[in-house]
Amino acid sequence: MMDEDKVLELLELSEKRRDARRAFLRSGSAAAIAAGGVTLLSGCFEDGNNNNSGNTPAPQTPAPPPPPPATGAITDQDILNFALNLEYLEAQFYSYAAFGTGLPENLLGGTGTRGQVIGGAKVNFTDPVVAAYAREIAMDERQHVAFLRQAIGATAVAQPAIDVGVSSLSAFSAAARAAGLIGPGEVFDPYANDENFLLGAYIFEDVGVTAYKGASPLITSKTFLEAAAGILAAEAYHAGLVRTVLYGKGIQTPALVTATEKISDARDSLDDPSDKDQGVMQRGLASNIVLADANAIAYSRSAGDVLNIVYLTAAAASQGGFFPAGVNGTIRMSTAG
Amino acid sequence: MNEGSKVVEVLEARAERRSDRRDFFRKAVAGMAAAPLVLTIGGTPLHAQAAVSDADILNFALNLEYLEAQFYYYAFFGTGLPANILGGTGTQGTVTGGRKVTFTDPVVSQYAAEIAADERAHVEFLRTALGSAAVAQPAIDISSTPTGAFSTAARAAGLIGAGESFDPYANDENFLLGAFIFEDVGVTAYKGAAALISNKVFLEAAAGILAVEAYHAALIRTTLFRKGIQAPALITATEKISGARDSLDGSSDKDQGIAMRGDASNIAPLDENGLAYSRTAGEVLNIVYLTAMARSQGGFFPAGVNGTIRTSSAN
Repeated sequence: MMDEDKVLELLELSEKRRDARRAFLRSGSAAAIAAGGVTLLSGCFEDGNNNNSGNTPAPQTPAPPPPPPATGAITDQDILNFALNLEYLEAQFYSYAAFGTGLPENLLGGTGTRGQVIGGAKVNFTDPVVAAYAREIAMDERQHVAFLRQAIGATAVAQPAIDVGVSSLSAFSAAARAAGLIGPGEVFDPYANDENFLLGAYIFEDVGVTAYKGASPLITSKTFLEAAAGILAAEAYHAGLVRTVLYGKGIQTPALVTATEKISDARDSLDDPSDKDQGVMQRGLASNIVLADANAIAYSRSAGDVLNIVYLTAAAASQGGFFPAGVNGTIRMSTAG
Repeated sequence: MNEGSKVVEVLEARAERRSDRRDFFRKAVAGMAAAPLVLTIGGTPLHAQAAVSDADILNFALNLEYLEAQFYYYAFFGTGLPANILGGTGTQGTVTGGRKVTFTDPVVSQYAAEIAADERAHVEFLRTALGSAAVAQPAIDISSTPTGAFSTAARAAGLIGAGESFDPYANDENFLLGAFIFEDVGVTAYKGAAALISNKVFLEAAAGILAVEAYHAALIRTTLFRKGIQAPALITATEKISGARDSLDGSSDKDQGIAMRGDASNIAPLDENGLAYSRTAGEVLNIVYLTAMARSQGGFFPAGVNGTIRTSSAN
């Protein structure tokens, strides 16, 4: 790349994207300021992502620390690490559902606090086609984890603690309860049968699409941008698959279609006030496999809004739901309200 | 957006992405040099590659959306797009063929209705985004005659023999295979273009259309896979169509049908990293022009696409 290009990129990074990144990160920017707290929590956390920003105070810096402008500190690696957390979650869920085991150990280490998985179980699939789908998506998501870890390099975050377990207090049960699918004290088991597996998958897939789309204009490197677009497409293929299967099965079992609407409403109640979510219920003469706005364009979610959903909270929080100890990396706070 | 940002964007569009754009448009730039509207300074044509703008990219996409929208509109409604969303720069063409499918499976009918509405929305969105620069709909062939584009594509895939016709409006299955010919191509086209779009608003919109095309593609592939349990010929047909696309767009393998891979399905056509493929504009034109050579027209676009990006790659 020519020097002129580098200058332009830096100018753009510092000026033009600041507003966009502010909007994207919203409450998450507070987390970037509080990165020192992350260091305390994790012990060995190396905040290498911010090396070129000059904004992150070194741990040894005596008080008072300078007020760091959070905006300049967010790098492509921060964004990709945020995505990596989500891929760990998806990959673990599908790996347990399809194979009965989690991801291999050599795909889990990295910066931040390495957490354990409250695991799932292999689904005893009735429909062999659904089993084939589960295996396909499981392998795709594992490849996303491996790809992102390689793309990010030494600063790739470790897998955080993940809850894809089965109990009345599990994240899946909390999500299903928020959607009104189960009552107090009841259990939603996404590994119990084909239908529950599909609804469990439904909880995640569309969110991945909105997360990658929301991040797309914030990625500086063209190589990373094109890769992210490729993962975005893969997530949309997965979401389209899951929604199509639920729609088809919903002909015989309308409760499945109703459940997708309830889960979408729950997601909508957790993220920002605008309506960014739809179930698969028929609209007029048409199905609603594609989750998109009036222009037939998929929605975007900010990182904070995505964290609202996976933390299962409408409040500003640094952990909860599917990530009991929060995600690793600099982007870790959900959005308030 | 402040003035400084605009300046940066303009500079960036001219300087930073030039090399990327050269690669993306490859043989397509040869077509631009021959375009009638090339700007000149002192009688000397500007270097074509410097002239490619976001508008050129979005107009290229608009041509593809016209094609998809017309196919789905005819299949579901029996009529084409309204005339007031077809005009623009370049030569406006007419649609050859297309008719309403008598669907047997009501679910497939509902899918057709959904995709038709989405693709029309894409046409309208891109036209609005482009404003007065939007290209007109070029001539489009979605007929089912033996010499029509669908039959040519099906023949290239080995689905039909010489002189036979492929009618994508004949029944549910043919409609799904007709849709299969387009949908994955749209995904690879938008992905290939994503990194080349300068304006971040357009980029995010293109990412949103990319996602929607992938939803559509998954819908079509999932439905074909399910119906393929009873009718395995459908699955074989997707592999043949993918093979034909691959034979048109160059040497690298960027396409997959939906046959099982081991004990897993293959709804999402992805590379070994789990990423969707990219195609250059020239490679996309190879497929819709139905030629492996450098051409400015053919196949589904008998008079070529409108806009500055119009020549397929020589493979």
